Amino acid sequence: MKVEGEASLPGTPEQVWALLQDPVRLAKCLPGCERLEPTGPDRYKAEVKFALAAIAGKYAGSLELSEKRPPHSMRLRLEGKGVPGFVKGEGALELTPSRDQTTVRYSGDAHVGGMIAAVGQRMIEAAARRIIQQFFDNSAKELRESKPAD
Amino acid sequence: MIPQPFEYLAPKTLEEALRLVERHGDEAKILAGGQSLLPLMKLRLAAPRFIVDIGRLRGMSYIREEGERIVIGALTTHTEIVESELIRARCPLLAETAEAIGDMQVRNRGTLGGSLAHADPAADYPAAILALEAEMVASSSAGTRTISARKFFVDMLTTQLRPGEILSQVRVPVLAPKTGTAYVKLPQPASGFAIVGAAAVVTSGKAGKIESVSIGLTGVGPKAYRADAVEKALRGKQPTPKLLREAAANAAAGVEALSDLHASAEYRRAMAGVLTRRAIERALKRVNGKRA
Repeated sequence: MKVEGEASLPGTPEQVWALLQDPVRLAKCLPGCERLEPTGPDRYKAEVKFALAAIAGKYAGSLELSEKRPPHSMRLRLEGKGVPGFVKGEGALELTPSRDQTTVRYSGDAHVGGMIAAVGQRMIEAAARRIIQQFFDNSAKELRESKPAD
Repeated sequence: MIPQPFEYLAPKTLEEALRLVERHGDEAKILAGGQSLLPLMKLRLAAPRFIVDIGRLRGMSYIREEGERIVIGALTTHTEIVESELIRARCPLLAETAEAIGDMQVRNRGTLGGSLAHADPAADYPAAILALEAEMVASSSAGTRTISARKFFVDMLTTQLRPGEILSQVRVPVLAPKTGTAYVKLPQPASGFAIVGAAAVVTSGKAGKIESVSIGLTGVGPKAYRADAVEKALRGKQPTPKLLREAAANAAAGVEALSDLHASAEYRRAMAGVLTRRAIERALKRVNGKRA
């Protein structure tokens, strides 16, 4: 499944970059994220609770950042496994300034397998779009709230 | 195929059921006919801690005429709707839609309220409920409130219902004179779910012009919706084959179409147009009481 799109976030690319590198703040923005712990440089262990009405499941997995070019671009890889199935994905993020905002372009490829894929197939793509949208909504909120008062 | 352990609660009254869902919040799921929730639990895609079984509540399975409305209890099964003389006479669209759902076992156990509250993006009822401009009655310990069909469906598997509320009744307005209805569906062969389903309610006016038309679509996007662009293009017009074809082509305008193994987004959009046109044509044929 291809995932692609862009979002506008308040703040400079440096501010957005700082958010993406901070596990405590990042955990607040990732929908359903219950834990995000560093296990090494640019590697994290994650626990995510995904819930869409009746369908709910806990996923444990990892997140890895690579090819970092602060504050312009990076690649990320994620893997998650839970009772309902597994998720594996790889993608790239690109940050470009646009006036007082930052445009984040993302593109990637995700594989969803196991029961969730067999049964929820027709809803997975739309669900993925919702989760990405929520992540950017949360990030925008976090960035606005963390701005120093002037 | 064996669900995770859960605590089973079987309230005897709606009030008791409401207290239970209020107390247990999002750890509880409401079980009605079980045709959506139980498969999810058996596959362990859903693992609620508490099951509040409202299937045994008395007095929530009925079909009555009240003034200009047909009121239907949320626990009424699909089969009861298919077989109801009142519905076949006064609101045949709902019977035609219920008849298209799943298989006989699902129709015998599944309920109108359960299907609507689950809000599967490919469920059949939402198309008809939207086209009929029905209203949903939600009960909570604070009382009841009425939600219009347009507002009820929020997103995939998501409705206007709040935690602590139970969908208790559906109200369907009686059709105006000179009105025809139809539900047309392209089913996914294995599951029977709608790849696309189109429901049309058409009222004829002077000289065969379309006086009013409402169209509900399911299966196309993350939630069922009204095909506003199509309705607008047809209102007050003479329904020529050319106009119907052109108008129906906009059935998926502005909709984020779903895509899966069985049907790409592009295919769903194309079929939305085809089935919308067929639903309108069939509804028009039925305006004068003819079965088509």
